[in-house]
Amino acid sequence: MNDRPRMISLSEWDDRYKELSDAGLKEPAYGGPLSRHVDDGDLRLRALRFDNSAAALRLWNFLLTEEDRLSAARASGKKLVGTMKDLGTVPVIAYSSPELVAFYPDGAWWIPCVMELGAGLLGIADSLGIDESFCPVRAMLGAFATEAHFPIPDLLICSVGATCDDFSAIAQRLASLGHSIAWWEAPARRKPDPGEESITLPGGFRAAVDQVDFMKSELQRLRRIIEKEAGSKIDDSALCAGIKAANGVRRILAELRLTVFRAAAAPLPALEMLIAEMLAIHFCSDRTESALVLQGLLDEACARQAAGVGVLPVDAVRVFWVNPVADLRVMNLLEKCGGRICGSEFLFSHALDEIPEDLPPMDALARMALADPMIGGAEDRADRVCADIELFGAEALLISRIPGASHCATEGQVIGDRVRSRLGIPVQEIEVPPVSDSLLPTLSTRIEALVETVLQRRKK
Amino acid sequence: MKTVVYSCPFVPAEWIAAHGFGPKRIIPSIDHDRAPSGLTQGLCPYADAFTGEAVADSRLGAIIFTTVCDQMRRIPDTRTSRTETPLFVLNVPATWETASVHKLYRNEILRLGRFLCTLGGERPNNERLASIVLDYDRRRSELRSLRDRMTARQFSEKIAAFHRDGSLESDFDPPSGPTGAGARPTPIALAGGPMLRHHFDLFDIVEDAGGTIVLDATGTGERTIPPPVDRRLAREDPLAALADVYFGRIPDAFRRPNSELYIWLKKEFAQRGVEAVLYVRHTWCDTWQAEAMRMKEWCGLPFLTIESGGDSHVDGRTLSRIQSFMEVVR
Repeated sequence: MNDRPRMISLSEWDDRYKELSDAGLKEPAYGGPLSRHVDDGDLRLRALRFDNSAAALRLWNFLLTEEDRLSAARASGKKLVGTMKDLGTVPVIAYSSPELVAFYPDGAWWIPCVMELGAGLLGIADSLGIDESFCPVRAMLGAFATEAHFPIPDLLICSVGATCDDFSAIAQRLASLGHSIAWWEAPARRKPDPGEESITLPGGFRAAVDQVDFMKSELQRLRRIIEKEAGSKIDDSALCAGIKAANGVRRILAELRLTVFRAAAAPLPALEMLIAEMLAIHFCSDRTESALVLQGLLDEACARQAAGVGVLPVDAVRVFWVNPVADLRVMNLLEKCGGRICGSEFLFSHALDEIPEDLPPMDALARMALADPMIGGAEDRADRVCADIELFGAEALLISRIPGASHCATEGQVIGDRVRSRLGIPVQEIEVPPVSDSLLPTLSTRIEALVETVLQRRKK
Repeated sequence: MKTVVYSCPFVPAEWIAAHGFGPKRIIPSIDHDRAPSGLTQGLCPYADAFTGEAVADSRLGAIIFTTVCDQMRRIPDTRTSRTETPLFVLNVPATWETASVHKLYRNEILRLGRFLCTLGGERPNNERLASIVLDYDRRRSELRSLRDRMTARQFSEKIAAFHRDGSLESDFDPPSGPTGAGARPTPIALAGGPMLRHHFDLFDIVEDAGGTIVLDATGTGERTIPPPVDRRLAREDPLAALADVYFGRIPDAFRRPNSELYIWLKKEFAQRGVEAVLYVRHTWCDTWQAEAMRMKEWCGLPFLTIESGGDSHVDGRTLSRIQSFMEVVR
């Protein structure tokens, strides 16, 4: 069997799957050939190129079977917590109770891409007055209406305040359709005033102690709501265990990012790295399994790095990526254009940084929640991007605008300006809709321009 | 006296005045002669217009943005807002059902006060603040009483003038009679987000087409006038009284949940006999765009949404749509 790392199509994966199976591949219960997901309507898989490792196969199968896991959890008597917008905070609390499984209905924003608009979710959102002037997360509204993509949660929680207006408005529309939502306030993180008592948050941002205290009181309120749903208390020791388990996942992911982004030849492709990062937010509804999936990827990446092999040429241009893409295919496009991903900021860096374990758990969670890049200023985000670009050695910055997103009108300028002035590397902005096929020539041109600029700079 | 400019109804004018500044809540206009913002597509024209107008005035003491709108919150980060004028972002919580967010708002007002003190303002004592709060309350009561004595446009312009400089002079002509030969004008509610200056023309357009705006429920109209203060509380704890009437009582689409907006609309629609709704929203304003269809379903009345996309006047297409709508509802 040829185990040379490479990127393969879905049909090639069928042959590869047979090869791996013949060689004794051991899979979890959700395993199987990737192409079976196309029968479920995940048509976009046909247009993607995947890593050819067993670890990547497991990652994809894990991602694409989440709905089954949620249904199984409900059937087993667990309660489902739908947590919205905070991207990484509330699940740590919910998973501290054995009675609960938390997931993000927000994840429905990829359904139009994965099903190539076949699910009609954006049309349903349109019919509810949430048109294309909103971010693709509006697909969530359609998913609630059809009840076809995830079980309707027993408890819905949504952070508002200093979040994007798109999500807040969509969630309010959801509430108007009869879904009860527990709202909580995410205050706008601000720079501490001169002389004001402040602390450093995970990831390096600073915040006023008053803001941390407020965040703690909001999370404490949520904890009571979640306990009520669980039917049992979540005490501090359970929370500490929950934080420790979340940090376990985060540590593996941090090592994976460092290994892949800093390797001479990319051990794993951009697309698989994007999916891997997403696991940190809510563990894809199975915290233990998500750690195993990530460990598999890390082992594969380490093995490839040790062997000096990768999925891309060593001279691929090292690009730092800002914001998640609505169309997964564009991650492949970067590599087709001669780039590779060397760092990313997908709007949830607070879900990647370790949660302090030497603090009372609610204090630690409050600090983590306040480190959310979305609730702070774009300058904070820009500083974090600069630091990570230097850490991973990226040569260029690609900012991927999210169509319709309220924050994207301003933050690209701020981040781009800061990176140009501080690091002097080229910056390019693109906008990626859920299915970008008709825009691929334009997107290619822009990405190629970025890649060529870097290649020219290397010659100087 | 230096002027502090803002556009958000959740900024208490009394607090600014009590620190020795002139509060000025503006309704911006689209000015195509101003330097372009330089921001990419997706910026709300209202936020852009407010920023452009505020930063163009170099005499201001400060500019206040708030978190009521995500884009307004973020503009101070951008080079568009680069100005020598000090900027302040007031965190107005979206949720309102817990005591902790009321406390958060109050703390934000105190932080605003400290900011004003760094600009030369003086922290007011309770007595001075109470006096200013009660004076504003009296004048707002007077403002509300003007509604039946002037045309809808005059009243909305009067509200804008009051917010701009506290002006209350009544130099308007008395209200004109019903338009058309004996026809009863159709009572219309103007609803939605904040208006730009040229949107005052909507009053005339509706009137010319046989209607009359009986309720200005936009983000610059009656909806955003704080209700009367608790006068006893105002004397004992004027800051608490301020926080109560601003944060606690102004209904808005951005609140979570925003049920109070509908309670207010239900009451006002019934009192004014509203028969149709003209709804104004700005391109890229998610908050009011998302509310449009819900409000239409909720009220069950003829409903026309007009989108304000950065023009400096009511364009011909919008004019035609309003005229057609009025023909249908008359």
